[in-house]
Amino acid sequence: MYKFVIKRILFLIPTILGVTLIIYAVMNITPGNPGQAILGTGVSQEDIDAYNEKLGYNDPFLQKYVRYVKNMIFDQDFGISYVTKQDAFTEILPRYLITLKLAFLGVFLSAIIGIPLGIKAAVEQYKLWDTIPSIIAFLLAAVPAFVLGLVMLFVFCGWLNVLPSYGIGSFKHYIMPALAIAIPPAAQNFRFTKSSMLESIRQDYVRTARAKGVPEKQVIWKHVLKNALLPVITQVGLSLGTLICGAVVAEEMFSIPGVGSLIVERINYKDEPVIIAGTILIAICFTLVMLIVDVAYAYVDPRIRAKYTKSRK
Amino acid sequence: MKKGISLLLALLMMTAVLAGCGDGGSGGQTGEKVLQMRLTSALQSSDWQATTLQNDMRITWVDVFEGLYGLDEANGGYYNLLAKDVAVSEDGLTYTITLQDATFQNGDPLTAEDVVFSYEKAKENSRFNYVTSFINSVEAQDEKTVVMHLDYPNSAIAHTFWTVKIYSKAEYTEATAGGKEFGIAGHTAGTGPYILKGFDATGADLEAYENYWGGAPNIKKVRYQVIADNNAAVIAFKNGELDYFPDVPTTEWEAVKAEAGENCQMVKANDIHWLAVNYLSPTNNGILSNPKVREAIAWAINKEACVMAATSGYGTPAYEYMPHEYVATAPDYTEGGFQTYDYNIEKAKQCMLEAGYTEADMAAGIPVGDIITYGDASTPRAKEAVVIQSNLAEIGLKAEVVVQEYAVIGPRMYSQDYDLAVFGDVGNYDFNNIRQQVHSESVGMYLINYAHEDSPFDWQMMEQLVADGIATADTNERKEIYTKLWAYVMDTDTILPILHTGNGAAWSERINVPSVCPTYYHISQWSWVE
Repeated sequence: MYKFVIKRILFLIPTILGVTLIIYAVMNITPGNPGQAILGTGVSQEDIDAYNEKLGYNDPFLQKYVRYVKNMIFDQDFGISYVTKQDAFTEILPRYLITLKLAFLGVFLSAIIGIPLGIKAAVEQYKLWDTIPSIIAFLLAAVPAFVLGLVMLFVFCGWLNVLPSYGIGSFKHYIMPALAIAIPPAAQNFRFTKSSMLESIRQDYVRTARAKGVPEKQVIWKHVLKNALLPVITQVGLSLGTLICGAVVAEEMFSIPGVGSLIVERINYKDEPVIIAGTILIAICFTLVMLIVDVAYAYVDPRIRAKYTKSRK
Repeated sequence: MKKGISLLLALLMMTAVLAGCGDGGSGGQTGEKVLQMRLTSALQSSDWQATTLQNDMRITWVDVFEGLYGLDEANGGYYNLLAKDVAVSEDGLTYTITLQDATFQNGDPLTAEDVVFSYEKAKENSRFNYVTSFINSVEAQDEKTVVMHLDYPNSAIAHTFWTVKIYSKAEYTEATAGGKEFGIAGHTAGTGPYILKGFDATGADLEAYENYWGGAPNIKKVRYQVIADNNAAVIAFKNGELDYFPDVPTTEWEAVKAEAGENCQMVKANDIHWLAVNYLSPTNNGILSNPKVREAIAWAINKEACVMAATSGYGTPAYEYMPHEYVATAPDYTEGGFQTYDYNIEKAKQCMLEAGYTEADMAAGIPVGDIITYGDASTPRAKEAVVIQSNLAEIGLKAEVVVQEYAVIGPRMYSQDYDLAVFGDVGNYDFNNIRQQVHSESVGMYLINYAHEDSPFDWQMMEQLVADGIATADTNERKEIYTKLWAYVMDTDTILPILHTGNGAAWSERINVPSVCPTYYHISQWSWVE
């Protein structure tokens, strides 16, 4: 098992390096330059060129990339923001934590809403507990977060005036954005759990357990749910990754100073240090989440565990 | 047992997440009256030189720092601010400036050394070349007198006096010791009426400077809160969470107006949206090099439709590069003197025929390339581009609309790698600023390269008019010269003004707002309603 975890951790290194390379390459081939974006329209080409030179923007791609990776690894230096002149990492970190907070809250809500309902719907297939949530989930899965956010904004802030419309001052500020990003994955979790449960319910081992007289509750919790949870774990992990990258809509709508909105804002200025550092941090978090998912998978699935236990022997 | 542990873990996780949701308070909620303002994104910097967004500049250029002159937007001129008196030599090359008895927010008195230092800093920054390049030297004659020598007479120097803000040399030097950047935290290095206490990703906090040389502001605390989304801002205003709502989206103006009652005003913005027609474009065998095609485009544009689409009808059709109401030296279309174009499809078609195209060509569609603009599809410029596309289709010109980020579109525009471009400019307060669009030295600033080797235009004459304009201090004479210049530009049919947007502001019943400015409001002139 340890071997599995270490192997997956080691795999993070080429993944992150790959991400930095791709981001660097993309930033390099897109038109525009930071000098132009930062200095604006009232500046001559000569000044823009000089500014770009000062930033090292005109250096060859590989030289820039190697320098960046070297600074990142050995000095934890992600560069200085072209816009605010602050250390990119220092600028991103607090925003990154806010995004993480929002994403975890969203995933938590999506899991506690979607999974129990999915289980109940599978156990009571074709009954009200299945039909009504299925219809609602079908509808909500198709509604993007920004539409949900807008509706909530108008209802809870504009109409009822019970929740704040912007900011992160208190727990109340997080309710709407978290729900806005949680509801679509909750609907997905519901559908995933339900279909996975139904698939497990029809397996031979479940029939055998029932034939042996195992109580129905135990059949569901011990035999069906444990097997049905495997794909759900992946789904929840993926939705966390998606929310870390994709909470930007909620961030923009509810004025939450997260990393997504920062990256979007800085794309306009071609603020490479911030864009690249933000993307790398997101990639690291995403790969870490995937690592946790894989470990959880191995923990839940005895087949994977057995594979590594055997190789240890 | 396992279920119990799972439940406990879930509860712990929830508690941990929720416990972390209480930080980042919005500040200033202690019962003391705090003016609630809006920022659309986090403040970039507390340094006036490093702020580029209008919202940020409203803080750093007006509240925190001050220049030698202030900007009188309502009347199109300037007024003395830190300069108590300005004397100009007969040859217009030497300015002797006597300073006000002002103090910095750190308590230090304003001295000539501070002014010299600030102008040196501005001269080092290429972003401000457009207002400092003609300054030869700035010297401190005594504690309160500054002498400025120019390379050539420049009547637009008032704009320099407004643009360049004055730092406390001592505080700036101390803050930047050891290679640190100025502007990453709050400071007291300005002479303005408000001290920037701090800022972060959620907003900025300002506090009145009680010893402000112009008198302590009535409103003591100001909280600028980042509200990125327009819908959220409208709701915040309606809920009383915003005291002043500048730049109300025109699509929301009616709703905001209904809420604000008499506490709102829509003014003409000091901006311009225009269509650049690149006569050097190779598209369709250089169709845009044909002057009659360019003229056809000028007649084909329905400015009223653009105003409706882009500003919900709150803008105004544009005929000038700078609204004459705000720029004393700007040509005034109501006085004539240059060609103006209004939607006239017959004239447009006639021009196309004169350009050598037949009715059959127009019916089949004549490719004219792309109409590029920056931002996203919801911006007024993008909406205008769509209207222009359909206007051009009426005279048989086929164009595609391309809307991309400024970082992509900007360089294309400045290197003349486009066919048609919808461009926006804002905050021009002296017509000499047209130099950036018409002068050959403005490489990287202009969209039309008039001085190109294939240019059919008399660009030398244009540049001479720019030079003549700043060589005289007589406002009427300057206006006459610039009218000649603008008339020539209009005849080239390369810069086609489309519209000036509307700038709506609404405020709560808690405050008194004496007047609404198109760009820079002055919180220090506001007061709480008793």
